[in-house]
Formats: sequence, structure tokens, C-alpha cells
Amino acid sequence: MTNSINEIENAQVILVSGSNTTEAHPQVARRMLAAVDGGAKLIVIDPRKTLLAELADIHLAIRPGTDIPLLNAMMRIILDENLVDDLFVEMRTENYYKLRDMLYRLDLDEMAEITGVDLESINKAAQLYAQAQKAVICYCLGITQHICGTRNVQALANLAMMTGNIEKEDAGVDPLRGQNNVQGACDMGALPNVFPSYQAVGNDDYREKFERAWNVALPGTAGLSLLEMTHGGKAGPIRAMYIMGENPMLSDPVLSKVQETLTNLDFLVVADIFLSETAQLAHVVLPAASFAEKIGTFTNSERRVQMVRPAIAPLGNCRTDADIISALSQRLGYPMYYDSPAEIMEEISMLAPIYGGMHHDRLEKCWGLQWPCWDRSHPGTPFLHKYYFTRGKGHFVPADHQPPSEPPDQEYPFMLITGRIYHHYHTGTMTRKSSTLNRECNQALLQINKADAHKLRIRNGDMLEVASRRGMIQLAAEISDQVPPGSVYTTFHFAEAPINKLCIDTWDPLAQCPEYKVCAVHISKT
Amino acid sequence: MTGKLTLKKDHLTAFLRKLSKEYSLVAPLQNRHGDTLFTEIDDVDSATLDLAKQPQNSIKQFLLPQREVLCTYRCESAEAYAFTPADTALPPTVFFGVRSCDLSGVLYMDVTFLHGTSDSPYRQKRLKSILIGLNCNHPFPNCFCNATKSGPFLEDGADLQFTDIGDCFLVEVGRSQGQAIVEKWRHFFTPAEEQDVHRQYQAFLESRGSFSHIVHVDQVIKRLQGEGVPDAIWHQLSKRCQDCGGCAFICPTCTCFTITDAPLTAESGERIRSWDACTFSGFTKMAGGHNPVVRKTDAIRQRFMHKLCYDVQKHGRPSCVGCGRCVDMCFGGTDILRFINMACAGS
Amino acid sequence: MKRSPLEDYLPRPAQVVEIISENSQIKTFVLRFVDQHDNASFSYQPGQFMMVSLPHCGEAPISFSSTPADKGLIRLSVRRAGTLTTAMHGLTTGAIIGLRGPYGKPFPMEYLAQRDLLFVAGGIGLAPLSSVINSCLANPDYQGHITILYGSRTPEDIAFMGDIALWRQNQSVHCLLTVDSGSAGWQGNTGLVTTLFEQVEINPAQQSGVVCGPPLMIKAVLKALEKRGFSDKDIITTMERHMKCGVGVCRHCHLDGKLVCVDGPVFNLAQLKKLNAMEIS
Repeated sequence: MTNSINEIENAQVILVSGSNTTEAHPQVARRMLAAVDGGAKLIVIDPRKTLLAELADIHLAIRPGTDIPLLNAMMRIILDENLVDDLFVEMRTENYYKLRDMLYRLDLDEMAEITGVDLESINKAAQLYAQAQKAVICYCLGITQHICGTRNVQALANLAMMTGNIEKEDAGVDPLRGQNNVQGACDMGALPNVFPSYQAVGNDDYREKFERAWNVALPGTAGLSLLEMTHGGKAGPIRAMYIMGENPMLSDPVLSKVQETLTNLDFLVVADIFLSETAQLAHVVLPAASFAEKIGTFTNSERRVQMVRPAIAPLGNCRTDADIISALSQRLGYPMYYDSPAEIMEEISMLAPIYGGMHHDRLEKCWGLQWPCWDRSHPGTPFLHKYYFTRGKGHFVPADHQPPSEPPDQEYPFMLITGRIYHHYHTGTMTRKSSTLNRECNQALLQINKADAHKLRIRNGDMLEVASRRGMIQLAAEISDQVPPGSVYTTFHFAEAPINKLCIDTWDPLAQCPEYKVCAVHISKT
Repeated sequence: MTGKLTLKKDHLTAFLRKLSKEYSLVAPLQNRHGDTLFTEIDDVDSATLDLAKQPQNSIKQFLLPQREVLCTYRCESAEAYAFTPADTALPPTVFFGVRSCDLSGVLYMDVTFLHGTSDSPYRQKRLKSILIGLNCNHPFPNCFCNATKSGPFLEDGADLQFTDIGDCFLVEVGRSQGQAIVEKWRHFFTPAEEQDVHRQYQAFLESRGSFSHIVHVDQVIKRLQGEGVPDAIWHQLSKRCQDCGGCAFICPTCTCFTITDAPLTAESGERIRSWDACTFSGFTKMAGGHNPVVRKTDAIRQRFMHKLCYDVQKHGRPSCVGCGRCVDMCFGGTDILRFINMACAGS
Repeated sequence: MKRSPLEDYLPRPAQVVEIISENSQIKTFVLRFVDQHDNASFSYQPGQFMMVSLPHCGEAPISFSSTPADKGLIRLSVRRAGTLTTAMHGLTTGAIIGLRGPYGKPFPMEYLAQRDLLFVAGGIGLAPLSSVINSCLANPDYQGHITILYGSRTPEDIAFMGDIALWRQNQSVHCLLTVDSGSAGWQGNTGLVTTLFEQVEINPAQQSGVVCGPPLMIKAVLKALEKRGFSDKDIITTMERHMKCGVGVCRHCHLDGKLVCVDGPVFNLAQLKKLNAMEIS
């Protein structure tokens, strides 16, 4: 997020795109609702009538995968209405004319037609957003998990830059992270192309710095992306894997491929707190300590690094991940000597500049610090890009519409949208162990519009067979006006109905993010 | 003679030390993260007593634990299924520094668990509890106990009732166990002077006048008992409820619970009573999936109607004690204060 | 003031002495407490229910299908619906289950004993009503006439054939069956249970209607009885809810200001009309 979560509360307009915020990020939604209470206007872009969409001033119910035409149309209207922040564009950005030329070539009626949203609503939303002094954009996986995920994000960035809604407090572009520490994992270089603190592996200076610190030779080329690893197949490039706290056997697309890859590895080690679907395939399972049993830090959506402290001692023979890694490393001939997680943090602060001032003793005394935090005296950074963009000037990248790779057709007539529900988290490794949460919801439901249900003679609770070109699963029907006719929706939490058997194995070529959000399916009663 | 006593603040630790020798002692303590919580005191001298802040929890959890073993069972075979009662009692315990709202909460729990039916696990704990109340000189930002008539000062309910009157506490003897304590440790207490009592009145007057919210509890009760509130209000609230159950867990009077089995081995297990919340859809869902509470709106409605209407009809007073904790806790903006304000705004 | 009964939530072991398979989904369990004291001191009335325990399954409320006249034996009829009832269907004779109770307000038996009775049931709903029916039949002072209308989904779903056979032999009982959808070989009535009203004598002045079944069926029958002139207090039903404590504390069975476990499960229409119950709304 370029902003802090609390800043959302002060925004005048909040544009939410591809985020079921009340269910997936209730603590963020709370700020949105508080802002609305204070008079802010809420625009929601979502194919589904989510709770937040119901509370919105404008709900743009686009066809799945048509974000770019919608955003381009909004930008064209902003241009036509003379609402561009010319000074900001002039001072802080580059490549604007390319965007402008592209926008001038657009036919607004055609854009509206593609998105399925009437032009008047788009017009209203565009003006509302552009006229705000302080507007934030919050987006989530409904933007990124498309074949054009990166382009979608760039389109949002174009919109924000064009109207000057960035670089200042209470205005910005805020991706909502899906896990308590996914930001931290990225910050620490759990990405194929960067060392910690986003220092590119191809940069000799950075690489040498880490080689000196760790006393090993490091590769200068990017590693493999997630899908290149878990979709390697029988004779994939990776022969052994050590998977920590991740459950690709439920979370990755095209599960048959994941299974083929993992079962054909020479060696699979899984460290997890429960015996997940993935752990069941492992040669060795290492029982890991949970969040409640360890010391360390989590980095949340707003780049805030916060201490986590043990509430209980590790149960049974569980050990913390750091402990397991150190012991493993020792046996593999590379001893690691850390007396405490605080000492690991010291090393991070030396090697990862954005964490330069993050030390446990500082973090202990406050509610955490937001990166970049360059040194011990630095107070942290509530919002990014003040005075200038990190890269220098904000670069406009015009984006063209790219339809989903598998549109519905005669054979597979429905568009399947996937997401989450409030009561379960990801693959349910933890939440499906809670009787209270299971009591709320213990099965996957396929949301289907009343009209479609009527056509297929489907009643609430009927078991359905949902098939795509890649697989078939069974789950129960829930007739709902949340989904528009032609689309169906379900979640990926349930091993009994592993939706990722159906998902398509295409991905955004720029970020390698799978196109989880949409694929074509066929529905029949069992 | 006023019949009231004083206890010097300087002597409070010594008094608590005496109590801790005979009783378990629970009081608001500040933990190392700066949070104030009712906590059992291990060692009076190392504990950081905090009577200035509102404890984040009420003492509900000691009388109705969040998770309590009701009994254990064995089931080696289908023919050998047997239950053993669990110990649901509490050692004799003094709860010190219980503010008026929380004290009222206990009195409400007494009505719930001891009238109509007598809930043995609760009763066993309650019989061993001694309550030392603390009148509230400084209401907190979200407090509205004046509107629910459960504070800031209480005259009945505690075994001993304390009021901070400067360098000492004014001590009023309530129920019989309070008398026993005062007699046992007589040297701590001095008969109160007229002026001490005046200081108490003064504190009461000042406290009464320092609530930040004006909350029309009486008005909303009247409305709910009469024409009711517009459906739109329930709809609006239910759309914003985030379904976390926090309001019920934090509430001193929310006593809904569930009973479940927690297997320990294949052949044994515990029967557990644990807190539940009426806003969960699973709260009313029957085996087979049918749910008589169809919509979220009905669940939300039940929550507020129970507190502000049904309990008034049944017991003569609302079961909201105005502690304001749910206002802090609720992150959807579905708390009782918002409801009352919405319900009254339309009139 | 009446002293409150002490509730310790401790189930007492009871043994399954017989299992009657009523249909593919319903079994009747004949039970006896293991402890003779429990058997001797135990008493209940039609309409009340027990909290039933099975290993690792927690508890579920089940109403009596037996009558207090069946000395020393308790009959509970159970439809397979959730975890506990599914486990219960797996039991064999000799198994031990846990029981606590009885709980709830019973049917107004003294009043009903002076009335002709029209019983309208659907599916498992006949279970609590059979407790009333057999109580009346076992009561030498009962002079009234009994009409039983029983609806099932299909002919295969008709349960309690043993009881029905006995009632059909009784001069003062008139028992009619119907199914929602018939099958080959079904000679009897087809249609909702309310269609049977045409075939029986209705006399609201002397008759009380007692109804139990799925919520939608209850709703339809309550309406039909009202239409035929039954007074609100002569339209009586018993309701199913998700009960946990049985003693009016846990509040799972809330129904507006009432709790079904202590204020019900038996309600008459006059009481229900003051409540926002799905059975009438």
C-alpha cells in the first residue's frame, strides 16, 4: 500500500476494485465504512454484488476481466471533462502523451459495451474520483489474478497519477495483501528476481554485498516463479523441495499438474503446523511452531513491521521456522549462529535498506514501524512517494484490453469466478480446524443467479457437477443475487471441492500470477 | 456515626496482601504490554494494580469461563460410555476493583443462572466469590452506565463498595461476606467522618456530570416495546456486522454459550461449555442445515431486542450495563451505542 | 418462592434395549436407564424432550415418542440429520447413550383429555404426537374421539407403521395417511396432509388440533385449522430448535423474547401469534 490503512478513513473518495473487502480484509473495510460514515463516497468495481458493493454510492458491476476498458473509459472521461491534474502530470510523471493518445483513440460506447456497465455510471464514477482532493484506490486479487494482472494494476496507477491522487496523505494506490506476512516475505526476497529489500539479483553491487555477508556465491539470474516450480511435471527442473507453511496442493492452479510434480520429486520436505494436503505427499514433515509460539515480526499490508510474541510455548516437538532452518543449514554444512530472532533482525537491518532502522528493541516499544525506515532515528514512512516517486518519475503505461483466455462458450457456458469467504482462510489448514468456524460454514457452495438456477432446474442445496476443460468437482448450489446471470462464484478453501482443479493454467506473463479469477465451466445436477 | 468506613490508600497493598493469604485475588492489573485486565494476582507486591483505566475484560470470564469442562467421558466401547463430573468450583476468590458496570453484569448473570433454573457450575463459582466494588469517579469515553442505570455509583450488589475520595477509600459494607472481611481485618478500617461522606457525594456528582455521550436508553426501550424501530435500521446494522462475535465475548452480560464434545483420545473426551454469540448463523442452525433465523437482520435484531426489550419485560431492566466495551470492540459499527443512537434519531 | 432445580449438565447412562427401524431415515430407540434409581424416579409428560449424548458428538434434543404409561422404558424416535443422529443410527442393541432431562413444557394433557383430538403430522413429526395419542388411549378416563392425519413424502417414507397398525384397530381412532408423491402400487391418498381434512369430521367446538412436522407443513396446517374455525388455543404445535442447555440459559433456541426449551416446545397459536416464528410467518 502506498498509504497507511488509517489514511483510508480520511479519504473523500474510495475506489475499491476487485476486493471483497468486508470478507477478506475486515479491518480495512472498517476504515472504509468509517470514511463513508464521515461523508466519503464509495465506488466499487466488482462483477458481484458484494456487501461492500451494496453499501457503495456507485457499483460498477463489470463483466469479469474487463477492468482495463472500464478504467480507460474513466480516464477518457476525466480527460474530456478537463479533470486531469496537469501540474502533477507535468512535474512528477513521464510518458503521459502516450496514454493520452491512446485514450483519444477510444470509443466510449464500445468500452461501456465491453464492460457491461452503462456509460452514465462510468461517467459518474470517473468524475467523482477525479474531483476528489484525496482519493484512494484499494485493489486486491480481483485485479491481479488475471491474464492481464500487471496491466490492470498499471491502469489503476495511470488513473491515480493522472488525477494526482498519489504522493500525498490520504490518497494513493493500495493493494491489500492477503496474508499477515506476505508483504514481509516479499520484502525478504521470497521472489525469484530480488534479494531482500527489492535489490535485483542481476545487479552486481547488490549481489556482491550479499555474497560478502553470507560468504557464498550467489546466482546473478532470476530463479523460477511459483508455477514454474509446481507445474514442472514428472521431469521438472526442480528435483527437491522444502515447502514452508504453503499448501500448493490446494492453492495452486490445475491441481493435477501440481500433484504430478510433487509426487515425482526426488525429495519433498514440508514444514507446517498441521498435516496439510501438501504435507501428506512429503517424504519428511517437520512440525512447525505456530504464530502464537514464536518471536519475530510480521509485515502487514501497510508495510508495518510488527512484533509477534509467544502466547504459549511450542507444543510437543514443534520448532520455530527459524530454528528449523538454522538446524537444517547446520547439517547441510553451512552453520548459522543466531542467538535470537533479534539477531536475525540485526542482519536484515544491515542488508535490507528499507528495514535499516528496524530493530526488535525499537519495535518492542511501539505498534511497529512502516518501511522504508532507513536508520535508527528514522520514524518510518506512513505513505510512499512523498516529493518524488521511488523510481524518479511516475511512468504512464497505457494498457489495452486483453480478454480472459477462456471466455464462456457453448460447451462451457458459465464464467467461474473464485474468491474467499469470511469464515475461512486460504486452504483452511487452520480455520477448518475450528468448530465455530465450521459451524458457520463447512462446505463449498456455488453461487448461481436465480435466472440460471431456474433454467437448469437447480434448487438451493442441490449437488452440482462443475466441470472445466481441466477437471470436475462437486459442490452444493446456493442461489444468490450476488452473482450476475452467466457467472458463478465459489471459494477455494475446501479440499472436498478443490476449485483449483478447474482453474486455467494461464498466467500474467509479466508477474507470473495465475489467472485464478476466471475460467469457463459447465454445470449440471448430479 | 455514618456506618461507613475509610481505608487509607497507603494501606491498600497491605490489605490486599492480607486478603491474598485467605483468598484467590483477582484485580485489574496492567500487563507488560500496557493493557489493563482483570487478572489473578500471584504476588501482591510485584503486581501492577491499575484502578485508573477501565479493564479490557469484565469478570465474566471467572464466573463463566470462556471454556469450561462440564464433565469428562470415557467410551472404550459402545457399551461402556460413562460420564464423570468435573470440578467446576472456584477457590474462595475476592474480586477487587469491580466497577459498577461489571458489578451490575454479575447481578444480571445471577438472574440468568440462578433464577428459573440453578446452573450448578455457575452457582459453585458464585458462592465462592466476594465482590469488592469500585465506584467510578471518571467515566471513560464510551461509557453510558448512567443511562442504563447501572452506575457510575452503586448502592447494592457488592460485598464491600469502595469509593476513591482522595487519600483514602470510603468503604461501604454491603452483603454479609463484606461484613466478615471488615471484622476480620478491623485495624485497616476507620469509621468515616461526615466530611468523608460529603467527599463521596461530591465525587458522585462530578462523575455523573462527566459522561461524554448522551444516550437515550429509556427512549429506545420504550420504542422497542411499543411500535418498534424501522426495519431499515436492522438492515443497515446487519450489513455492517462483520460477524466476529467480539461484542458478545467482551460484554459483561452476554452469557450465551454452547456445549460441545472435545475428544482427548478415541476413547475419552471432555464436554465443554464455551462462549457463543447469537450473531453467528451457526448459533441457531439445526442439524441438517435448516435455520429458523433466516437472515442476518434477525440475528442482529435478536441481540438488541434481548438486551433492550425482552430482558426489560422479563426482569424489569435492560441487560446492557453501559460499559461501552462493545463500542471499542466492534469494527463494523454495529455496536449498541450506534443502534440506540440510530433508533432514537428517527423519533 | 419455588426453589430452582439444580442443573449440573451431567448425563445419565441409558441402555438401548430395542431399535425399531421406522423407515430409511428414522429409527426408534427403546431405552432404559442403567441405574435402577434413575428408572424409578424418572417421570415426564408428552411433549417434553431429552438431551441425548453420544461419544464425541455432544448433545441433541429429542422429544419422547413414548408415554409415561410405558413404565421404565423410554422411546426416542430419531431422524438422521446431523452428526449425532447419524452416529445414533449406527448403534446396536446394548449400546449406552447419555440422557439428561426431561425438559420443556409438555402438551396441556389435562385439557386435551376433555377434548376430541385431531392430530396432524408430517414425517418425524408423528413421534411427539404419538406420545400424546398413546397417553390418551392409555387413560381410562379419556372419552373423546381421535383423528390422525399423517403425511409422508413417499410410500417408502411412511414411518411408525407399528403404532399406526395398533391405532387402526382401535374403534375410537380414525387414522388416515397420505403421501406427497405416490409410487407404483400405492393405493392410498396422494397430496399434502391438509387435503385429508375433506375426509374427516371437523368439529372445532369439541376438537383440538395438535400439529407437528416440518416448519412449512406446520405453517400450512395452522392456517388450515384456523380457517376451519378452531380457536387459537385449540391449535397446538411443538417446535424444533437448536437447543444446547435445555434449561433456558444458553439461548440457542431463542424465539423473540421466548426460549423454546423452557417456554415451549409446545405452543398454541395464540402464543405463537405474539412471536415472530417461521412456523407462522
